[in-house]
Amino acid sequence: MAKETKIRIEADVELVLLRPLDVFVKSLIEQIPALSGSRELVDKIELAFSEAFTNIYKHAYPTEEKGPMCVEIRVGPDSLEFRFEDHGKTFDPDLTPTPDPDHPRESGLGIWLMRNVMDELHYQSEDGGKNVLRLVKYFPRAEE
Amino acid sequence: MEIRQINGITIITTDERLDAVSAPTLRELVSEAIGQSKVRLVIDLAKTQFIDSSGCGSLVASMRAVLKNSGDMRLARPSPQAKTLFELTRLHKVFAIFDDLGAALESFPADS
Repeated sequence: MAKETKIRIEADVELVLLRPLDVFVKSLIEQIPALSGSRELVDKIELAFSEAFTNIYKHAYPTEEKGPMCVEIRVGPDSLEFRFEDHGKTFDPDLTPTPDPDHPRESGLGIWLMRNVMDELHYQSEDGGKNVLRLVKYFPRAEE
Repeated sequence: MEIRQINGITIITTDERLDAVSAPTLRELVSEAIGQSKVRLVIDLAKTQFIDSSGCGSLVASMRAVLKNSGDMRLARPSPQAKTLFELTRLHKVFAIFDDLGAALESFPADS
């Protein structure tokens, strides 16, 4: 993948889409040469995708009335980016809890996990009620 | 997901993925299991290749429900992905985790 590959998926958020999209993303990133040798890295990127989708499903649209989302996947020569858009409730990514084994949580760790398994997390609420979450992973450099 | 009993110990075997789709099912099965008094529960993750925070949350909720009913719980045979996630979230310090199902079964005190 010498040049950038871009894929855009638009849908109303439904839980039934989580697994098909996860499987698609996993099979895509498994073909990226820079990631093909690292099962752990592929697992972590798949996890970030699953967390971002689930976050929109559960928290951006917390009621039974779900709304639209869009995810753009960009694969460049040096990095991979997920760009999620929704029109639901906003959140403050800086107010997310840290895992504490003395008080294990049943929910609320999605943002913390995304931040920890990816290299960059950016969240912005734009005019018109659009929320944008960008997750970036830089590929490990090949050993010279 | 399937639930069975061996020597008075309840074993729930989770599916290939433990995520927002399947987490509610695990919670329901655990609720059924703790209907018995002082349930001894093993959640066998051998088939589960992918867990996310919703899956972890359902495991924490399961443990909390079991302990509240004076029972005890073990996790068995987590995948490398699950182990990495447990370490990231520090849940490896919360759960009793066994690489071997037999060892998980034998870990319960005989009189519990």
